[in-house]
Amino acid sequence: MTETEKIIEISFHGRGGQTAITASQLLAEMAYEKGFADAIAIPIIGAERRGAPIMAFTKVSKHKIIRTYDSVKNPDFMIIFDTSLLEMPRIKETIKEGVTILADSPIPINRDGLPNNIRIFIVDATGICIKRGFMHSSGPILNIPMLGAFGKVTGYYDLETIEKVLKKVFGESKIAKNMAVARDAFEEVKEVK
Amino acid sequence: MVSDIKKEFLQNKENKIIKGNEAAAYAAKSSRVQVISAYPITPQTTVVEKLSEFVDQGLMPGTQYIKVESEHSVMASMVGASMTGTRTFTATSGQGLFYMNEMLHWVAGTRLPIVMAIASRGPAPPWNIWADFTDVLSQRDTGWITSFCATHQEIYDEILMSYKVCEDHDILLPKFVAYGGFILSHTSKPIIIEEQALVDEYLPPLPDEKGWPHIFIDPERPMMFGNLIMPSGFYYEFRMKIHETMMRAKEKIMIAAKQFERMFGRNYGNGLIQNYKMDDADVAMLIYGDLAFQMEEAVDQVREEGYKIGMVKLRHFRPFPVEEIIEIAKKVQVLGVMDRGTAFGSPTGGPISSEVKTALHNTEKTAKILPMISGLGGREVTIDQQKDQLKILIKMNETGELPKDLLYGTLWHGKLEVK
Repeated sequence: MTETEKIIEISFHGRGGQTAITASQLLAEMAYEKGFADAIAIPIIGAERRGAPIMAFTKVSKHKIIRTYDSVKNPDFMIIFDTSLLEMPRIKETIKEGVTILADSPIPINRDGLPNNIRIFIVDATGICIKRGFMHSSGPILNIPMLGAFGKVTGYYDLETIEKVLKKVFGESKIAKNMAVARDAFEEVKEVK
Repeated sequence: MVSDIKKEFLQNKENKIIKGNEAAAYAAKSSRVQVISAYPITPQTTVVEKLSEFVDQGLMPGTQYIKVESEHSVMASMVGASMTGTRTFTATSGQGLFYMNEMLHWVAGTRLPIVMAIASRGPAPPWNIWADFTDVLSQRDTGWITSFCATHQEIYDEILMSYKVCEDHDILLPKFVAYGGFILSHTSKPIIIEEQALVDEYLPPLPDEKGWPHIFIDPERPMMFGNLIMPSGFYYEFRMKIHETMMRAKEKIMIAAKQFERMFGRNYGNGLIQNYKMDDADVAMLIYGDLAFQMEEAVDQVREEGYKIGMVKLRHFRPFPVEEIIEIAKKVQVLGVMDRGTAFGSPTGGPISSEVKTALHNTEKTAKILPMISGLGGREVTIDQQKDQLKILIKMNETGELPKDLLYGTLWHGKLEVK
């Protein structure tokens, strides 16, 4: 399988209320808007509550139709909304050689026990949300800054695409606030060695 | 750069990345349904939620949205609404469908063309909310036309085709449009929402004030409907007519699918079944629902290894496509039948595999049938597992022997390994 035919698999790990499920949906929309041939968002839904660990997946493909509904087992990218989740064995064991991690964290992540051949990016999404007042009833709305940072890390879509999709999904009225946090994260995300 | 495959799919039409449940809601909107009755149940809830949003935003002018206290009342109110001559829609799942059961018989007996989306889930207990078609398949004898969807687009398309078939004055029967809970209901994919003018052209016109041809309600002249009929009366004949109509619906389903393809450019086989890579296949899998979409990928991957394998997607369970299945069973050597649902104590334990065996009872020289079950209660079925399933059929063809670990003739695939 050539690189362009490969389906790119992304996993989201967050806690109930951190808006990771919506992030998986928005990522599918952004990639599709930017020209990917197909995209699917797959939330894993049970009886989760605020604060419980939750998972969601997105698969995107540049040139072929994605003919599967199954969950992601070997992600190419992991988007971590809460770095404490990285300590959970079932999440830790999906971190394999070659994976790229994007985490909401103001400080570098502890690499102990992680494979060598992985890339880690961090962005202080929580800090950005607090600074910009981008909050809902129980905390910061992390999905928009995380997706802004992910666009920068991968180059799959740009700020213009984010704006287009968010306008379509949430309407014009909230676009300024959304774009402020997306832009901050796009600019601030950095790789840590 | 936009790839060709995407251009071919979109045909420059309006598209949205939406959940399967939203696709069902958009289909109801496109069909200009006049009455919606709703009671929430997971995983269907977001169908009626989306519709309440549409009604609230004024996007469905003239549509009545009724909130009731239970699923039984949902279907009872649908009966009342449809009897006055209106296009009606609702959605349910699992336990909600079971609670409606009495009224489901009432709908078919009254010959009302109600369409209901079902986000299928496993029957409780143990409590289960994930994909399993036992809920809809256990309603087998209620007199509803029954279909399965494999993709998000197919949910939207199938609901449009349903009104075309059900409201045909030669049919006038209700229909279930079933799809796997969560697997289709809550995942999101790009789908095309067709232009309203085209949908209007495709669908029959909404019923006028005269209503359906066989029922007319006039408040000035009160009448009783569906009242007691003595055994010497026409009850027997009414029941026969439902069966006759159901069998005749096959042709209408085929016509609806053909017209659909002509108008919207999407092919669903002959409407009853859809073949995939069957031209040169000597082994095949008959499968339905979301698993059929994944199975296409598994078939392609196994074909790359040099095996002539194909797949038959069962689109309609009622009416059952007997002739099509006989034709397939005469063509291939081994036919696996994959159920995602149970029929306890039936000849095979699987609802569809029992039907396939029955369909072939008078036909000589047919394929060996292997009844199979997987994915009960939403257990994940991966493409690798599906490839394994296909290889079991290939091995059976090569050795002429049944697999060893059958339970009363059926292979239950993907069980937990007991240590």
